[in-house]
Amino acid sequence: MSTTSPAMTAPEAGPAETAVELIGITKRFGAFVANEDVNLIVKRGEIHAIIGENGAGKTTLMNILFGLLQPDQGTIRLNGQDMVVGDPATAISAGLGMVHQHFKLVPSLSVADNVFLGMEIRRNGLIDHTAQIEKTRELSERFGLKVDPEERVSLLSVGIEQRIEILKVLARGARTIILDEPTAVLTPQESRELFQTLRGFVAGGMTVIFISHHLEEVIEVSDTVTVLRHGKHVATGPTSELTKADMVRMMVGRDVSFDRRPREKSDGKVVLDVKNLWARDDRRLPALRDASFTVRSGEVVGIAGVAGNGQTELAEVLAGLRPASHGSAMLKGRDLTVLSTSEIREAGLAHVPGDRLVRGVDGNASISSNLLMGRQDKAPWSRKGILDWRAAATQTVEMIKRFDIRARGPEDTVKRLSGGNIQKVVLAREFTNEADFLLIDQPTRGVDIGAQESIHDEIMRQRAAGRAVLVISVQLDELLTLADRILVMFNGRIMGEVEGGSADSERIGMMMAGLEPKNVSDEVAS
Amino acid sequence: MEILSLFNVALLVATLRMTAPILLVALGGSFTTKAGIFNIGLEGQMLVGAFFAVLGSIWSGSALVGVACGVAAALVFALAFAVLVVSFRANEVVVGLALNILAGGMTISLMKAIFGTRGSIVGKGIVGLPKVQIPGARDILGSWAPLINGFTPMVYVAFIAVPLLVLFYKRTRLGLYIRVVGEKPEAAEALGISITRVRYIASLLCGLLAGLAGAHLSLGYITMFTENMSSGRGFMAVAILIFSNGNPLKVLAGCLLFGFADAFSLRLQTFGFPSYLILAVPYLVALTALFALSYRSRPKIIRETLESMRKLLSVDNKPAEFGK
Repeated sequence: MSTTSPAMTAPEAGPAETAVELIGITKRFGAFVANEDVNLIVKRGEIHAIIGENGAGKTTLMNILFGLLQPDQGTIRLNGQDMVVGDPATAISAGLGMVHQHFKLVPSLSVADNVFLGMEIRRNGLIDHTAQIEKTRELSERFGLKVDPEERVSLLSVGIEQRIEILKVLARGARTIILDEPTAVLTPQESRELFQTLRGFVAGGMTVIFISHHLEEVIEVSDTVTVLRHGKHVATGPTSELTKADMVRMMVGRDVSFDRRPREKSDGKVVLDVKNLWARDDRRLPALRDASFTVRSGEVVGIAGVAGNGQTELAEVLAGLRPASHGSAMLKGRDLTVLSTSEIREAGLAHVPGDRLVRGVDGNASISSNLLMGRQDKAPWSRKGILDWRAAATQTVEMIKRFDIRARGPEDTVKRLSGGNIQKVVLAREFTNEADFLLIDQPTRGVDIGAQESIHDEIMRQRAAGRAVLVISVQLDELLTLADRILVMFNGRIMGEVEGGSADSERIGMMMAGLEPKNVSDEVAS
Repeated sequence: MEILSLFNVALLVATLRMTAPILLVALGGSFTTKAGIFNIGLEGQMLVGAFFAVLGSIWSGSALVGVACGVAAALVFALAFAVLVVSFRANEVVVGLALNILAGGMTISLMKAIFGTRGSIVGKGIVGLPKVQIPGARDILGSWAPLINGFTPMVYVAFIAVPLLVLFYKRTRLGLYIRVVGEKPEAAEALGISITRVRYIASLLCGLLAGLAGAHLSLGYITMFTENMSSGRGFMAVAILIFSNGNPLKVLAGCLLFGFADAFSLRLQTFGFPSYLILAVPYLVALTALFALSYRSRPKIIRETLESMRKLLSVDNKPAEFGK
């Protein structure tokens, strides 16, 4: 008796070594298994990255940890104690905090109101806005997260919104912070600032769990990595012992190349010639300012920039979905700004829109209906004005094969497919149009690494076939892989141009943050 | 001279009086609008409120009990609305319309069953709400006294509710949560604020004010119930809510506009204009206001169409040689 009791009480004594232990977690949604017997052990005071493809179960696992979902099986242990995390409130009181991928801020409220939402400071039953502003200022200074507590959230940039989300979590006394894809919306500089903040947190004894696609970042910031694949735990280990290639292999289950694509030099004719193009956004404010550039046949031009710096407006103007307020965009000598959308497509544009479920496909329709769209009056899809569904099905089967769309058949409903496969449906339709100019907005947003590779391959094939390709992407890596030249946009302007082969991301990052290319080169030189 | 004599203190007093019921019901709708529910059932809630206020008043002989009955009936409708829309996620418009039709039909058949009449309930011992006399008002304001004096209680309730609601949304926790649930439900959810609970509360608060508005119709200036006596006020409130987005001050402004149109049409009647034209005035005002506002907020499509037409007409659009 006397010998066993100290051993039994030993784990209780002192602060636990682990902040979070998830043991044997299984979660099913109907027949789909999102997590299967997953283990995750996060030590106190570390930055622990969780990586995996879309649908690997990272977010599900975090939602289980945070009490947003209940596991079908498995144990959750927080700070060494078994817990049933029935709702987020339990998780919060146990010192967990979650910064979601999609921010959950209320735009019409002030920063302070958002930080204290759900735990308002009240005096005489009324909300004490002054006290909330003071407390927010204190928190922001203590943790080095600069914000103006009185500003309305609707007026702030995404980077600052993220700071507010982190402040929210800190105001609730979190010691373990979960960040779901935190850098997807940030410039490289903002990401670096975020990493510094996170480093500060762990130095102060806090723990950070970090979900990411972005392997460079994972290598840069994390101490430990856990890899998930198809809902299963693949490996956990110190980041320093893994290379990027190791991680990709574990995530995808095979080798994947993300090196810069080899290419023949080309000097084709100018296909698209944009001159002094201006456009306004939905609030009637100038969103695209004086853009001038060309895209040649057999060339991939990339547009880099933080989301919301005029890239969307540029794409919409070129596709005829938004009027230009000034300037011209000549496609093979025809000015796109005065043509209707269908005339533009006739003139030789293929468009892969950034929001594929809104403008790319009709999610409720079948694959063959989606591939049919836009050529319903052309053979072999129709004959004498009557649709030929049998021919359409044959064409669809061919395209499914060629573009490696993982579907049950041509009649499969598009919205049942994964993001990557929906994107391939859009590519299949647009790339088989024989258009001379391809406008591709966010080619691989929300697409698995494996599918990313094949989409990149397809874009390079189009380049080799002599198409002029304009790729807009918020993923700088992607542009470095694909583009011959990269244009950087900030606040509606094209800040500068860099050669794809020699581009260094530091310099592009500076331009993405709005620094003049001239100053950039000075700073880089010094 | 004759035109000028249209505008006098009596017209302003009538404006306030006509504004009150629509203001009450629109402020009720402000709760649901802010909570993110499109509540088209205001009309029905108001109508059952009016009917049961009369019933309660006859049975008890007390106007106050009448008001309580009216409110209770409106709350039952509001609860039914909330159960269907919030808990069972039914379509708001369908449920709202169904409840409106139910309210119309139910009041008619109950009238037939209880009183054996169709059309209206008059007399039968209905006790109306007393008029409030503010002591000293006449001495201080003289001929302007009717502007604040001698209204039935609901008129005061309606106008006092406006600043209270402003305070409610700005400074109380419930008010804040209602706004958050309407504007960004996922934020509320993430913070452990129950969307369902907040929406139920908002629906019931709406029922409360819609019931008061109904009681004001049948026990206020006239003590009677007639078929469909809410006569579209609930729908006007919905229209006001759409462009005010539930903001109490904008709701007040919109209601005053309709109240004025109502009062103005009554006033015109005394000048011998054809009554069918005059009765259309408030609705014309509603249409004009809505058109003006929707034109302002949605001119993009119109402007863009004009712009592209102009461009097509003015710019030479011949395809040039490829690759110049």
